Amino acid sequence: MKKPSFLNRLGVHGTLSLLVIWSIVPFVWTFQSSIKFTRDVAAKTPVLWGYETTSSAYNSFWLDDDEINMWNVLLYILAFAAVATVVAMIGRRVERSWPFFVASAGVIALGLWRFPKIWEVEDEYDFLINSIIVTVLTMLISLSIGLLAGYGLARYSGISGAIILVVALGFRALPRSAFVLPYFFGANRIDDWLEDSGVGTFDFPGIDFPFIDELTVLDTRLAIVLALVAVNQPFTIWMFRSFFMEVPREIEEAAMMDGASRLQAFRKVIIPIMWPAIIATGLFTLLLAYNEYLFVRILAPTNWTLPVAIVSLTGGESSRTITEAAAASVSITLPIVIVIVLFQKHLVKGLGAGAVKG
Amino acid sequence: MCSGAASRRPGTTILWGKTNVTKRTFWGFTIPSVFVMVVLMVVPLVTTVWLSLNQLLLRDIKSPKFIGLDNYREVLEDPEFWAAVRFTLLFVAVTVPVQMVLGLAIALLLDKVGRGRSIYLAGLLLPFIVTPVVGTLIYKDLFDRGGLVAWLWEVVTDDPFVITATNVKWLIIIQSIWHVMPFAMITFFAGLQSLPAERVEAAQIDGANFLRNLWHVILPHLRVLILFVALISIMDAYRVYDSVFVFAGDRFTEAHTLQVYTVEVAVDPQIGRVGKGNAIGVLNVLGIFVVLIPFLVVSYKDQIKERT
Repeated sequence: MKKPSFLNRLGVHGTLSLLVIWSIVPFVWTFQSSIKFTRDVAAKTPVLWGYETTSSAYNSFWLDDDEINMWNVLLYILAFAAVATVVAMIGRRVERSWPFFVASAGVIALGLWRFPKIWEVEDEYDFLINSIIVTVLTMLISLSIGLLAGYGLARYSGISGAIILVVALGFRALPRSAFVLPYFFGANRIDDWLEDSGVGTFDFPGIDFPFIDELTVLDTRLAIVLALVAVNQPFTIWMFRSFFMEVPREIEEAAMMDGASRLQAFRKVIIPIMWPAIIATGLFTLLLAYNEYLFVRILAPTNWTLPVAIVSLTGGESSRTITEAAAASVSITLPIVIVIVLFQKHLVKGLGAGAVKG
Repeated sequence: MCSGAASRRPGTTILWGKTNVTKRTFWGFTIPSVFVMVVLMVVPLVTTVWLSLNQLLLRDIKSPKFIGLDNYREVLEDPEFWAAVRFTLLFVAVTVPVQMVLGLAIALLLDKVGRGRSIYLAGLLLPFIVTPVVGTLIYKDLFDRGGLVAWLWEVVTDDPFVITATNVKWLIIIQSIWHVMPFAMITFFAGLQSLPAERVEAAQIDGANFLRNLWHVILPHLRVLILFVALISIMDAYRVYDSVFVFAGDRFTEAHTLQVYTVEVAVDPQIGRVGKGNAIGVLNVLGIFVVLIPFLVVSYKDQIKERT
């Protein structure tokens, strides 16, 4: 192909740069607000550069003590992140890598668990923990049952498979509002039953369950996870099915010829080559669970995750300042940006591959 | 397709067509997912229909009272409902075509770039991955008092920029395009990657200019993806909740879409009317199915064809 002219290239790059600016201006603006002093944020003419910076907005959003040196906090976070990364990197080079990934997750969990013991934290810290637990649980459940169903649907050509797929496609289109009200009603009913029948408060003699005083559904993480797994299922099975369609049947047939059962073939032969698909689908599940707003607002009126927390704490008559709202926005966006930057290739590939067949 | 259906005997374990698993194995693999979808999607939908026929208040949620179709009558006579319908239709009609054309244009530009492509991609993807409520909050900040756009507006026009009931609808629409456009862009971009370069070159050697190339080579190649993105975008635009709720809030009830209106009717702490909310929910489902049924029929026929 002939090389495009200089002017042509300049035009392409210029247009793309403008579009990127359009995309990221709100992020840059918010990040600036989060590190400014209130007087600069409130200035009549925006102070775009040369302002003094401060971390006090982050401090007052997350911590209960204004005197803390935020460099220490940042160092703490970076230290745990570095250790977790190194452990995970070693894992990538080792044949049986899963113990390393478990260890890496353990390091992160340890860091999150120790944090409030060192510094006094605000309620927002609980909402962060809620967000993490909800996201991880939703991914685990949704991906494991979706993986199985996707495989079954890709390999079976009976009429019931077609019906399941088409009905799932229909469900994918339905608005959240059609589900959230019956979920709310149902959760109320189940809680009533648990209370009236005594099942919710039943104590096994001699066993004291930690963390659980009373079993309820409404206002728990469980309710959010179940709702998210359900609404995510149609997408997950379509996505996995289209990935499995590209895996040749001969692969598992060869393994089964050698005496493996269907389940063994699935576990030992199919799953290892499916990792890119699992990561791609997992990323979309992560986005869905981490970003969910409506279900959490209705099903967990006080047990919030971060998106609900930020809307409730920064909107309306709340006394929180603009800088604090900005700091909250940055803190909630950063983790997801890091994850996406690390896995950008998988995300792009997933959108392409899932789309072609969908 | 009838012959295929007739030749199958239920319960047999004979492999036919492209099947290489037995019916039993198939259900073994699929049952957890199907169970979740039945319990948490089919059952709630039936519950919605039943609740929509009842009078049910949020503060008294334990005692539904059957009242037949009264909820529906009330909804259809409610001017707020029709305002929400109108705004939802406007929202879908503007955001879907704009984001698709814009997405395709950017995908074509990206396709021309060699170096620096992943940096552009990362920047352009950012609005798509950010939490929708946060994306809306930070976008709204630009237009609020002291925001960058509000300030620019004041410098250029000498009037202060105020969010009003009329312009808030367009702000919501622009914000939504900003938020969802990367999906169309990245999907079309992935589709362009699978277009063999020889076909474009062959067309160029034959003297085709860019527009002819676009019309005769690129668009036919992307046909399936365009339909796919159109379907997903229509569904998602119809379902939009987060950004509208944050942008319009209680202040601009004129700019509520159907989903926001539905939830607000049901969960208002004083006069939350869950029965009426469910009636609107049922109407929502019927509304999207009018659009969806052709797609579902096509998809079902595809599935059958794949199987015989």
